[in-house]
Amino acid sequence: MIVTYNWLKEFVNFQLTAEELCDRLTMAGLEVDALVNIGGELDSVIVAQLDSVEAHPDADRLTVCQVNTGSDIVQVVCGATNHRTGDLIALAQPGTTLPGDFKIKKSKIRGQVSLGMLCSEKELALAEDSPGIMILPPDLPLGQPVFDALGLKDYQIELDLTPNRPDCLSVVGVAREVAALCGEKLKIPLPQLSEVESAVAEKASVTIENTDGCPRYAARMIRDVKIGPSPDWLVHRLEAVGMRSINNVVDVTNYVMLELGHPLHAFDFRYLHGGKIVVKSAQQEEKFTTLDEQIHSLTSEDLMICDGQQPVAMAGVMGGLDSEVKDDTETILLEAAYFKPTMIRRTSKRHGLHTESSHRFERGADIDMIPVALDRAAALIAEVSGGEILSGMIDVYPRHLEPVNIEINIQKTKALLDIPVDREMIQRLFESIGLQVEAGAGSDSLRVKVPSFRPDLEREVDLIEEVARLYGYDRIPVTMPVGTVDAKLPPLRQNLQKTLQLEMVAVGFSEAINYSFVATDSIEKIGISADDRRSVQVEILNPLSEDQSVMRTSLVPSLLETVSRNLNFRSSDLRLFELRPLFLTPKEGGACIEQLSLTAVMSGQREPEGWAQTTVPVDFYDLKGVVEEILATSGILNVSFVSDSSQPYLHPGKSCCLTSGQQQLGFLGEVHPDVLTNFNIDQPVYLFELNVEAIIAVSGEHGQFKPLSRFPDVIRDSALLLDETVTAAQVMEIVNRGKVKFFDSAIIFDLYTGKGVPDGKKSLAIRVRYLDLEKTLTEAEVTKSHDKLIRSLCHQLNAEIR
Amino acid sequence: MKERLRQLQQDALSALKQADDLNVLQNVRVKILGKKGSLTEVMKGMRDLSAEERPIIGNLVNTLKDLFENYFIDRQLELQQRDVAARLANEKIDVTLPGRKTVSGNLHPVTLVTNEVVEIFSRLGFAVAEGPEIEQDFYNFEALNIPKDHPARDMQDTFYIKDDQVLRTHTSPVQIRTMLEHKPPVRIIAPGTVYRRDSDITHSPMFHQVEGFLVDDKVTFGDLKGVLTHFLNEYFGQGHKVRFRPSFFPFTEPSAEVDIECVICGGKGCRVCGKTGWLEILGCGMIDPEVFRSVNYDVEKYSGFAFGMGLERIAMLKYGVNDLRLFFDNDLRFLKQF
Repeated sequence: MIVTYNWLKEFVNFQLTAEELCDRLTMAGLEVDALVNIGGELDSVIVAQLDSVEAHPDADRLTVCQVNTGSDIVQVVCGATNHRTGDLIALAQPGTTLPGDFKIKKSKIRGQVSLGMLCSEKELALAEDSPGIMILPPDLPLGQPVFDALGLKDYQIELDLTPNRPDCLSVVGVAREVAALCGEKLKIPLPQLSEVESAVAEKASVTIENTDGCPRYAARMIRDVKIGPSPDWLVHRLEAVGMRSINNVVDVTNYVMLELGHPLHAFDFRYLHGGKIVVKSAQQEEKFTTLDEQIHSLTSEDLMICDGQQPVAMAGVMGGLDSEVKDDTETILLEAAYFKPTMIRRTSKRHGLHTESSHRFERGADIDMIPVALDRAAALIAEVSGGEILSGMIDVYPRHLEPVNIEINIQKTKALLDIPVDREMIQRLFESIGLQVEAGAGSDSLRVKVPSFRPDLEREVDLIEEVARLYGYDRIPVTMPVGTVDAKLPPLRQNLQKTLQLEMVAVGFSEAINYSFVATDSIEKIGISADDRRSVQVEILNPLSEDQSVMRTSLVPSLLETVSRNLNFRSSDLRLFELRPLFLTPKEGGACIEQLSLTAVMSGQREPEGWAQTTVPVDFYDLKGVVEEILATSGILNVSFVSDSSQPYLHPGKSCCLTSGQQQLGFLGEVHPDVLTNFNIDQPVYLFELNVEAIIAVSGEHGQFKPLSRFPDVIRDSALLLDETVTAAQVMEIVNRGKVKFFDSAIIFDLYTGKGVPDGKKSLAIRVRYLDLEKTLTEAEVTKSHDKLIRSLCHQLNAEIR
Repeated sequence: MKERLRQLQQDALSALKQADDLNVLQNVRVKILGKKGSLTEVMKGMRDLSAEERPIIGNLVNTLKDLFENYFIDRQLELQQRDVAARLANEKIDVTLPGRKTVSGNLHPVTLVTNEVVEIFSRLGFAVAEGPEIEQDFYNFEALNIPKDHPARDMQDTFYIKDDQVLRTHTSPVQIRTMLEHKPPVRIIAPGTVYRRDSDITHSPMFHQVEGFLVDDKVTFGDLKGVLTHFLNEYFGQGHKVRFRPSFFPFTEPSAEVDIECVICGGKGCRVCGKTGWLEILGCGMIDPEVFRSVNYDVEKYSGFAFGMGLERIAMLKYGVNDLRLFFDNDLRFLKQF
């Protein structure tokens, strides 16, 4: 909603500057989005008089003018032809910047000094086109800024209104607030209109069939109007609030809507068959052309204004093309009505038509304003178009909307707001915004009759809010709540999420957040087939684009996109993770489950680039080390990595499934080269994905303290010659579970194939640590244990010692 | 004999003095004090001496032995120090070469800000709650006093999954879910991902919010002001003015918008605050009785407040990020800055 400072002043006498006014409005809940000083940049465009106009000595089409600014005579060269000696003109002095960033400078034009420019209306943005320079009315004071002299100086105030305040969708409504804020009275002059003898009731009739959708419909008729341009004051007013002038009649309906808040519509009476208005629901699939020349297919839920034959307007939204006011319109029927907000809203949404009118009706118009707005508009139309108003008003009002009465408890108000207000003060605050107040039923309450312009006031709490608002939020004290605090530790789930994030960062990964919605085919890009549950994606009915149309069932496509994008940005060492939900639909159908996934990708060099650092590319085992670390930190002590080729986006020979007991935790592997190609990635990428819900299920274990020995340990290394198919896990299983005496721990310290190792074999070297808590071990004791362990390995894995 | 010892002392000290590295010094020591050393030879010859001479010469020999030992130790230390000094002088490195980089990761700025905000409220006894991102119309709208066909639905343009299922447009449905499960008193903070059907330079179709609410008996509007002022002071530092101004949300009444004096220009007016000197930070209000009714809370007994804020906005202000889209581009050059 846009109002202007001067327009408000017509209804309330306040002493605030524009800036002060805006501040007060904002603090009263009518947030000011913008304050624009109309003509404010053009104070150096002044009223001046042409003392003489002479032909330019060296240019046929130019004149040299001596211009009287009131304090000086200056010479200006001008190319127009419509100016004469003695005319008052608008002089843009050097230093002025005209609209369109046109800077005026002192200049020399064909040898003649020119100290400024004589402006046209177009150059001052007062008209879209103008034939010559602007000739001002006589008797304006010389030297005064033109906008001031013409009374055009004003402030445009743009309000960002909340949807609960339809009353402020009008200048009068905002003025009512200003009056309350300043302790002034609101003045609404009653329209004076003269009617001719002929009565509207004899010419036209109004019938409301759908009284639920339209509880009141009123009309007036004006004949012999001459459609033409509006007078300047009207044009400037509308322009000041950013509305374009159409013609005198339409401009008046818009003007009154802006002034009083009530939308009006003018019909060309010629096109109302039978002189009838019938308000009723549309026929299903009936076609209707609105005045913006769009054809709409109606539904039986659309409320229409019809004549004796057909619809002529979409009630409260937009008029029809056929019956709109035309250049040759002579008689108009002027409508002012009330329509049910939800009905207008549905129609407006259904047909994608959001208009000034629908905006007001769907928020709730003022039903009592109907006759006032109608009289005001009729009087103005008569004034600006030369028409005559027929006597009387048709006012069909079958369903009176009863005024709402609300009780407000004083004590409750004081307690909730924590402010020291009393009855009298609350009553005074309410009356300042036009509410009628009387004693309530209880001794400690007031009874408030809500006026029709405040449909948002329905309940006691609405009134409490008004008290707070009018009292001033800034005067409410700042306190801290007392009461019980639940001081329990956060649940495991929350802690684990945080742990995972921090641990990923600690091992060098940066967190990415991608959109939860992706393209439908993103899942195909990673090779997931139709029988995989991840191919069942939750679809968005109204996506912004195809690329964001389904909820993701895997974080892999998004992260591979991220990798690809970063490679394009020339970042090639990538460690990224996302900890976000997957939107999975169970195979058997049913509600979507949001399952938290930790997915990470790794690519590029193992170490950051640097003079003292190696340039070794990362491999499977780098990422495996990360997973091991993450799972250990999460308190999962028993994890198996089982070779697996079930995930189509992973290299079948370099991928595995992670399990802990019966719980499947996720997958780890190198991304399949075909998938990399789909994402235009030309370097190996490793990824893991962990089901965080599964991790939660098995996490939280912690080991028990192991005593430290005071005696030295003994280390034995052995290289085992094994079949290539024997896995490290098999070896370590035997080593760790073998329970040989004095065994403490073991690691694999070398893997070798090549010279000296037969084909189909590999050499795996283990380092075993022996220890006792009670004594220093002897060579014999250690040898006995180690021999036993090696025998066991040789026997069970068909191994040999190298 | 004495003469021999004098000669020995002279030779030995001269040799020790001339020894110019630790190996030579050690050899000299062996030549004097070793098993076949010159002094050891003298000591061996002591049994041939007379009983009168033996103690005198014995004393003399012991004195010499101590002298040589001390002289040796001093000289050894001297040479060691000289060697260390020489080694150190040779080992100068360029300390300005960069250190060997460790790999380091970064949390997403939205996560960082979320953690900070949650931490402040946790200290006031607020517990973290979560809810689904695909939400029922009932929790996202109806129970929050946003009926169908209400203009307030326009405030949040919605992605629909089904007629009665949406991508949550705010974190407020967590309020409903929590209150349906827990009786007052409750203090909850609920960060989460939300979605609105809007995409341009200042709107992202997915973003993050944090919701908070407190319900108890005797909670006042003053308490709302207190808690949020405390939060803003903690987060942005003391000394920024805070103002509460009336606004409208369907699920709170009275409702307020909270502004903080621009943290960039200090209230003088700049590009970030749109020359107003104020930054809109959060929306809040006293929980509407209709909301309490929908979760079966006794509206006569309890009161409470709720608030919500956009986390990207906070991150933008905190780090001076000027383009919302950067948060979801996941450009490492961006992510590595936090």
